[in-house]
Amino acid sequence: MSTAPKTVQSKETSLSEKGLKAGSVGLIGAVVIGVSCIAPAYTLTAALGPTVSEVGVHLPAIFLVGFIPMLLVALGYRELNNAMPDAGTSFTWATRAFGPWIGWMGGWGLIAATIIVLSNLAAVAVDFFYLMLAQIFSNPELGELSKILPLNIATTLVFIALACWISYRGMETTKGVQYVLVAFQLLVLGWFAVSAFAHVANGTAFDATAISPDWFNPFAVDSFSSFAAGVSLSIFIYWGWDVTLTMNEETKNPEKTPGRAATITVLVIVIIYMTVALATLSFAGVGETGLGAGNPENQSSIFAVLAGPVMGPFAILMSLAILSSSAASLQSTFVSPARTMLAMGHYRAISPKFGKISPTYKSPSFATIAAAIAAAGFYVITRTVSENALWDTITALGMMICFYYGITALACVWYFRAEAFRGARAFFFKFLAPLVGGVILLVMFVKTAMDSMDPEYGSGSSVGGVGLVFVLGMGVILLGVVVMLVMYRLRPEFFKGKVLTRA
Amino acid sequence: MRYVVGYTANARGHDAVHLAVALARNHDVSLDLVLVIPEDSPFNAVYPPEAGYNDILNEQAQRWLDEGLALVPDDVTARAHIRRGDSEAQTLIEAAVEMDAAALVIGATNSGLLKRFTIGSVAGSLLHSSPVPVALAPHGYHRTEPITRLSCGFGTRPGADELLDVAVESARDRGLPLRLVSLLALDGGNSPGLADAAWVHAADRLAAVGSSARADGSTDAAGAAGSAADAAGSAADVPEPEIVVAQGRTIEEAVDRLDWEDGEILLIGSSRLAQQRATFLGTTANRILRALPVPMIVVPRDYKRQNS
Repeated sequence: MSTAPKTVQSKETSLSEKGLKAGSVGLIGAVVIGVSCIAPAYTLTAALGPTVSEVGVHLPAIFLVGFIPMLLVALGYRELNNAMPDAGTSFTWATRAFGPWIGWMGGWGLIAATIIVLSNLAAVAVDFFYLMLAQIFSNPELGELSKILPLNIATTLVFIALACWISYRGMETTKGVQYVLVAFQLLVLGWFAVSAFAHVANGTAFDATAISPDWFNPFAVDSFSSFAAGVSLSIFIYWGWDVTLTMNEETKNPEKTPGRAATITVLVIVIIYMTVALATLSFAGVGETGLGAGNPENQSSIFAVLAGPVMGPFAILMSLAILSSSAASLQSTFVSPARTMLAMGHYRAISPKFGKISPTYKSPSFATIAAAIAAAGFYVITRTVSENALWDTITALGMMICFYYGITALACVWYFRAEAFRGARAFFFKFLAPLVGGVILLVMFVKTAMDSMDPEYGSGSSVGGVGLVFVLGMGVILLGVVVMLVMYRLRPEFFKGKVLTRA
Repeated sequence: MRYVVGYTANARGHDAVHLAVALARNHDVSLDLVLVIPEDSPFNAVYPPEAGYNDILNEQAQRWLDEGLALVPDDVTARAHIRRGDSEAQTLIEAAVEMDAAALVIGATNSGLLKRFTIGSVAGSLLHSSPVPVALAPHGYHRTEPITRLSCGFGTRPGADELLDVAVESARDRGLPLRLVSLLALDGGNSPGLADAAWVHAADRLAAVGSSARADGSTDAAGAAGSAADAAGSAADVPEPEIVVAQGRTIEEAVDRLDWEDGEILLIGSSRLAQQRATFLGTTANRILRALPVPMIVVPRDYKRQNS
C-alpha cells in the first residue's frame, strides 16, 4: 500500500531560474525595476553633496564618466550570472575564479557594501521622516529632532528593525506600489529641477550660476584624487542599474527586453541626474556659505536643505519621495546580504547557521537578522564617531562597491580566460569590458583608500589622526580578513577548496 | 480519494500530517503533502541581483518534504509536491482543486508568540475562501490512529441540513459513531426550555435528513425504519446517532463541558456569511476552534461530498 516517498516539483506555473514568474515583466516594468533599484531621489540627496565637495562644478562630467566603469563591470556581471547562476554571486564567482581566499573577501565586500547602504538608507529615511513631520506640522523644531543623537540612533534602529521584520516575513513590494514609488520620485525630482531653473530665471536663486560647457569636461577636475573620489561616488549613484541587464526569463521578451530596458533606464537616470545636478548648481552655486552646494553643512543631504527654498510649500513632496523610496529600498536591500550570507553558510564558508531558512516564511532567517544587527552596529559606530555620518558612510560605501565590483569584474576575466578569444563578442563582453572596468574600479579603490587616510578627507572626521573614511573602509576589510582567518581555523574544508572548486 | 496536506517543516506542519494520517486510516485515502514556497515578485527589486537562491530553497524544500513523508507510516500512501505561489493559502487551494482533493488538512495554530489564542494566518485565509473542506489539526496533535467518533456541530441556521447530510454520509462511509452537538451559550439565566428545543430540533432535522437519504434510494438504508436516529444510522454495525446539547455561559464553556474522545473530530459548517466571502469561519466557529481539544473539519457552504 505504501509507495516510495517521492517529491514532485509541480510545474503549474512557469518559473525563471530565479524563482520569478516567467514572462511577467514588460519593458516599462523592467525600467521601473531598474529605476527603483537605483532609487534616484535617495541617491542624489546622499551623493550629490559629497561629489560636489570633491569635484565642484564638474559634477555633471563626473556623473557622466562614472557610468563607464559601471557599464563595463555590469557586462561582466551579466556573463557570470548567466554562466553560474548562484545566490552567492560575487562570492561564488570569485571563489570559482581565484580560489577560496579571494572569493571569501569578494563575498565579504559585497555583504559590507550592502550592510553600509542599509545603514545609510535607514539614516536618510529617518532624517526625512523628521523633516516631513516638521513640514506637516509647520514646526521646524520637529526636524531638528533628528539631530539629537540618542533619538536619531533609536529611530534609525527602529527603521532597520522594521525593514528586517518585513523582509524576514517574506513580504514584498508589489508591482503597483513600485510603479507609484518610481513615478513619484521622477515627478518630484523633475519638479525640483524646474522650480530651481524658474528661480534662476526670475532672479530669485540663491547664487545663480550660469551653466558652462566646462562643467561637462572631466579633465578639468583639478586633481586625480578628486577625480578618483568623484568616480567612486558616481559608481554608487549607478549602483542598481545593472539589475536590468541580469533580467532574463522573467521578462516578456528575454531576447530584447533586458537590453532595451537597460538603455532606457540609463537614459532616464542620466537625464534626471543631469537635470537635477545642473539645476542644483545653477540655483545654489558651489559656494561654501548659506545654501551653496559647496557648504559642508549641506552636503550630507542636499535636498533636506534645498528642497524648502526651491520648492516652497511643496518641499514636503520631496521628503515624501525620499522617505518612501529609501524605505522601499531598505526592505528590498535586506534580501541581498541575507542571500549572500546564506550562500556562504550553504557552502560552509561561514557558520552553517547562516544557511538556515525559516520553515514558516521560507526566507533566510538567521542571515536576515544578522544583516540587521550588522547594519545597526555599523550605524551606531559611525554616528557616534563621525561628525557627519551620512557623508562618511557614503564615501566608504563608494570604496566598498569599487572593491567588490573590481574583484567580480576580474573574476569574470579570469574565469572566462579560455573562451575570451573565441570571437569578437566573447572578447568584448568576457574579457575587455570587465578587464578595463575592473582595473578602473580597483585603481579608484586604492587611490581613494590612500587619500582617505588624510584626517581632512570627506567630512573631516578622524580617528587617531587617520581619516574616518579610511578607518571605516579599511576597518571593514581588515575585519573581513580576521573573520576569514577564524573561519579557516574553524572550517578549513571550504578554504581547502573541498566545497567550491576552482574552475 | 486524496487529501491535500498543507505541509510546513514546523510543529504546525507536523500536526497536519498526523491528522491527515489519522483521517486516511479510516478510509481509502492517499495523502499529497504540498509545501508552498514563495514566488518572488520581480518588482521587489532585489539588488544586487542573484539567480541561485531558488535552487537552495528548492533543495531545502525537498529535504523538508522528505522529513514530512517520513512522518507518514507505511500503511498510508503519500506523495510530496513543491508548489510556488505568492499566497500560501491560495496555492494550497489551487493544489486541492487541481488534485480533486476531498479535503485540505492543515495545522491550525500560529507559530507566533500568541499561538494559544490565534489561528495562523494561512489557516485563517483558507477558512475564508476554501472550496473544499478544511481539516484543522489542533496545536500539538500527535495521534495517528484512526478517528473513533464523528461529532457534528449543529445549529438552526440555513445550511445546517446540508451539513448534516455530509456528517451522516461521512459517518456511514467510515463506520463511525455520529454525535450531534448543539452548543448553547446562555448568558446569565439557565433556560432548560432552550436546551430541550435544541434537542427536539436536532432530532427533527436528523429524521428529515435520514428520510431524504432513503428517498434518494440509498440501498443500505433500506432496512431502517421508525425513529429518527434509526433512519440516519443506516449501516447495521454503526450505533444510532447521539444528540447532545451542551450549555455554558459562553461557547467556550459549553465546548469545555462536553466530553471529547481522543480520537474524535468535529465537523462544522461555514458561516451563513460565507456567500459574501467575508467570513467563512463564523465567530461562533472561531470561538469553538479556540476551545476545542480535538481536530475540526470546516465544511464549505453548499458542499457536495465526493463519492469514493
